[in-house]
Amino acid sequence: MSDADDSSGWRGRVTRVLDRLTSASARERLAISLSALVLSVAVGAVLIYGAGLATTCRRAAFLGSCYDPFVVYDQLFFRSFGNLLADPTNPKAATTLGEATILVCTGLSVAVAFKAGVFNIGTQGQLVVGALATAVVTYAVSQTLAGPLATVVSLPVGVLTGAVTGGLYGAIPGALKAYADANEVITTIMLNFVATNLALFAVQAAFKDPESVATQTRRLPAFAQFPRVVFPETADFSIVALALAVTLAVAAAYLLAATAFGYDVRTSGLQSAAAEYGGVDAKRTTVAAMTLSGALGGVGGAIYVLMKLGNFQTNVPAYGFDGITVTILAGNNPLGVLAAGLLFGVLKSGSINVSVATDVPPELVGVIRGLIVLFVAMPEFFRLIARRYTSDDSPGETAVTDGGRPTDDERPGSDDRPTDDGRSTDDTQGGTERPPDGDTGSDDGGVSP
Amino acid sequence: MSDEASTSGSESDESGETNGSDSLVERGRRGVAAWFADAGLTGYLGVFTLAVAVATTVFGLLVPESLPGAIVAILLSEGTLAATLRRTVPIAFAALGGIFAEKAGVINIGLEGLLIVSAFVAAAAAHFLGSVWLGLAAGVLASVLLALLFAVACIEFRADQIIAGLAIWLIALGLAPFASVVFFGSKNTPTIDSFGTITIPILSELPVVGAVFDASPMVFLLFVAVAGSWWLLNRTTFGRWVRASGENPDALDTAGVNVSRVRYAAVTLSGLLAGIGGAALSISLRGFTGNGPTMVNGRGFIAIVTYLFGNYDPIGALLSTMLFTSLTQLQLELQASGVLSVPSSLVRTIPFLTVIVVLALFGKTRIPAAAGDHFESGEE
Repeated sequence: MSDADDSSGWRGRVTRVLDRLTSASARERLAISLSALVLSVAVGAVLIYGAGLATTCRRAAFLGSCYDPFVVYDQLFFRSFGNLLADPTNPKAATTLGEATILVCTGLSVAVAFKAGVFNIGTQGQLVVGALATAVVTYAVSQTLAGPLATVVSLPVGVLTGAVTGGLYGAIPGALKAYADANEVITTIMLNFVATNLALFAVQAAFKDPESVATQTRRLPAFAQFPRVVFPETADFSIVALALAVTLAVAAAYLLAATAFGYDVRTSGLQSAAAEYGGVDAKRTTVAAMTLSGALGGVGGAIYVLMKLGNFQTNVPAYGFDGITVTILAGNNPLGVLAAGLLFGVLKSGSINVSVATDVPPELVGVIRGLIVLFVAMPEFFRLIARRYTSDDSPGETAVTDGGRPTDDERPGSDDRPTDDGRSTDDTQGGTERPPDGDTGSDDGGVSP
Repeated sequence: MSDEASTSGSESDESGETNGSDSLVERGRRGVAAWFADAGLTGYLGVFTLAVAVATTVFGLLVPESLPGAIVAILLSEGTLAATLRRTVPIAFAALGGIFAEKAGVINIGLEGLLIVSAFVAAAAAHFLGSVWLGLAAGVLASVLLALLFAVACIEFRADQIIAGLAIWLIALGLAPFASVVFFGSKNTPTIDSFGTITIPILSELPVVGAVFDASPMVFLLFVAVAGSWWLLNRTTFGRWVRASGENPDALDTAGVNVSRVRYAAVTLSGLLAGIGGAALSISLRGFTGNGPTMVNGRGFIAIVTYLFGNYDPIGALLSTMLFTSLTQLQLELQASGVLSVPSSLVRTIPFLTVIVVLALFGKTRIPAAAGDHFESGEE
């Protein structure tokens, strides 16, 4: 903090704000994410129980309800890795890790945009176009290749195709936001619908597998897909793909934390006016961040095709929307995305177990996903509970839950207090002339150390 | 790009706001004048579009067998107007709801979720209770409850409005198919009865506009709701509070009005209106379908764009919704009549692309100054 004070002007001030936000609230964010998760699971349990009461069955499973929440959650959370002792590479573990790999990519995609103050709901669309382009280009390339080195050529081409296509598709809403002030929340959602329909059209019109009745592209040869390495050939998971996703997470963390570009991204996310003043081209940063975000979504699509499917099929699961939840749960931290991505991988593969082992509709996971987003979005709720249950005599406890931030009583009249990650999206809303002082920076800057 | 054009546009809006006696026509005239004065890209495009539309109409009337002729014939047919009105109902109701919430300072991006929940609950309740009107009531109730959850999160617990709204959408997107499978064993509800039609004698015999007077009760309800919303926003104390709560909550607070309570009321009202829209959607289509993005399929998001485009005015929102739905209907009919032969997957992208283009050209509407911000009274 003291270093930042020496450097005068906006740049120093913004750095100070960043330091405060990242260091002070890291533990609090973790606490909020975990509380939100627990609360969502609890609400979900009530929902399962209630739904079980509403249905009819021969024999009640749990307190008069047809569904037993404990059985459901056991399947959802604890059966996702199968029997690791007997066979560490069993199909269930492979499915879980495979889902997690893709979700890390989509989570990173949303996180990078979020850091720049852009709310990219369009990762789903970017993933779809990336996946389709990967399937088409990889097929074309694989037809010209043979021999032991074919994988070495074809795989990078496929992943790169996904990244470039997704990146270009992500650049559209980025440019629309930067240069035409079009609200990216709406444009990206619209582009999701467009991507789904365009992909359907492209497959039907040009790239359909003539030997299949389903709307899908031609099957890629095995050498063009991610090599399975440790896992059996039948597994829909590849260690190589996981390694790629982890590398991307580490690279994104480094890029955001330690490079000039990362600085531009974070400052324009926190306070675009201040960033401009400090010499950051906020518009170009917005487009660049959205391109990068789209590229990460596109890589997710490439991995989906090259690891899971082996071709492109038009009914793409909602990886992009899960990516939003992953990011929000991870507090926008690229390394946190790894943990949250794994958790959602567990949930996704767990929902398959739920539908196999119980009568509970697997759509349950969608509800829990929404609840998590809602609860993480309201940190004040958990602060209130923490305040109520920690007595005022134990300041140590309060400090943890409160992130060491001044409480209401100490700061009368501050109606624009910085809360969590949500604040960074402030100037994204409506994409219109908002007063720059309604944001985190000015408020925090007012409290001189 | 169109910086100057929109700045002067919003200036004229503000002056219209301050001396409220200005008529809508006067404001519109000045807005148009400002556009032409600045002659930004937006202005040129607007003039160009209008010129194309006029040329198409004239040419179409003169040469009925041509493509423009087919377009004009479709536009003038009663079926088109009737279908356009039917398509307008859910979007326009959601847009009205969005106006109240956002005017009060709460950006309600969860409209889509409210539509989904009310569409499902209305269809399910209509099935179990055997009455479409009870279904409508149940759908509205469900939407209001979800809107209240959103309001508590945003107002009481200071949640980020965009994220909380997104959560409302995601919850509804999971909950409706979940409940449908629990109750009906399928993501779709069984077929239910629909609303009848109300036919007004004599007026319904009129050419072209006759369809307006021979329509679902929901269409009439929409007209009532639009007029009522306009009156409520512009002519009542509550409307003044709502606007103040979005523009200058501190002033409203100083005047002794509870800002939170106004915002609660506005968000509840948005739940009520969106609820009618969602229920009307599923009941008029005789059931709820819950695959993929469900039968609501982005209508809530389109509603947000139409009220932005309609500049937060209930009448403007209705007109821009109708513009949007009539374009959708036109391309569908062109498709059906074989005039155009474009694959349906491509055609389906048109509404979404239209929204993006509209946002890019007119995205700079002046949103309420305090929209998106949490408000906290000085006294606690």
